[in-house]
Amino acid sequence: MWAYQKKLQYPINIKRKNLRLAKCILSQYGGYAGELNAALRYLDQRYGMPDERGKALLTDIGTEELAHVEMISTLVYQLTKDATIEEIKQYGFDTNYTENGKDLYAANSNGVPYTAAYFAATGDPIANLSEDMAAEEKARAVYEHLIDLSDDPDVTGVLLWLRQREIVHFQRFKELYDDYKKMGIGKK
Amino acid sequence: MNNYYNDRQMINIGNNNNDLAGLYTGFIRGNMFNSLYDQYKNYQPAMINPKNEKEQYLLDLDQVQFAMHDIHLYLDNYPNNNSMIAEFNRNREIYNQLLDEYQAKYGPVVIYSDSLNTTPWQWDNQPWPWERSDN
Repeated sequence: MWAYQKKLQYPINIKRKNLRLAKCILSQYGGYAGELNAALRYLDQRYGMPDERGKALLTDIGTEELAHVEMISTLVYQLTKDATIEEIKQYGFDTNYTENGKDLYAANSNGVPYTAAYFAATGDPIANLSEDMAAEEKARAVYEHLIDLSDDPDVTGVLLWLRQREIVHFQRFKELYDDYKKMGIGKK
Repeated sequence: MNNYYNDRQMINIGNNNNDLAGLYTGFIRGNMFNSLYDQYKNYQPAMINPKNEKEQYLLDLDQVQFAMHDIHLYLDNYPNNNSMIAEFNRNREIYNQLLDEYQAKYGPVVIYSDSLNTTPWQWDNQPWPWERSDN
């Protein structure tokens, strides 16, 4: 089970609204490399891991990703909170506003909705861990694009922090992947 | 708080795992492991400058919890590393102490908090974490 902690994993205090950046950041909520998908994928895959290490790692990284969903949501919330209807139209947030107001629609920055197909779980621990390593690298690349796009140092600081987590998670998945390969897991 | 700072100093001095960063450095960059840290272009981690005692307390709590968590992920893969288990437990003890102090002062972070044994109900009496702290 899970229990909520009434704090963020890393503090977020954005002073300026920024609707265009908020719309870009939505990709890390509902996009294929987003935090929501990471959380759900790892928690989905953990049942098929061949030993205790894999079950623990997927549970614990999956749990951390839920905290990152909250951080991404917080960014979008703070970036859009005080926006006027004129600003919503001017900076392209009207596409989200039409059906969802300022609530987060789980989609990427192009409006492509989230789909469970993004889980890409195979029931094969080697294929799954290899997918997870790729997912962390893809999320790292998306964070780098967002950092390139960001014109607010407060937002950039949060994005840099989340990017670093992708690097640590990649390393942990890789260690397990390499060890499972050595153990011959996945060989028929 | 005094005990905590003494303990924190002990962590840095008595740290046998040379790859581990100090609590503040590890936390602001989102990576406790020096060998894994990978800077993007010329971007430096954002400094966190608490504006009041509550924010200072929260930073203390956040950074020790983060150290514990990053070591936790490491231990999932390397369950026999004695010195890392010792690091985890040093941080865990400080975290438990700090969490009690923080909740006694500023209200509950977890639903198991002793600070909830009061009327009115305290769980919804503090701002939610997604609100800016200056509001």
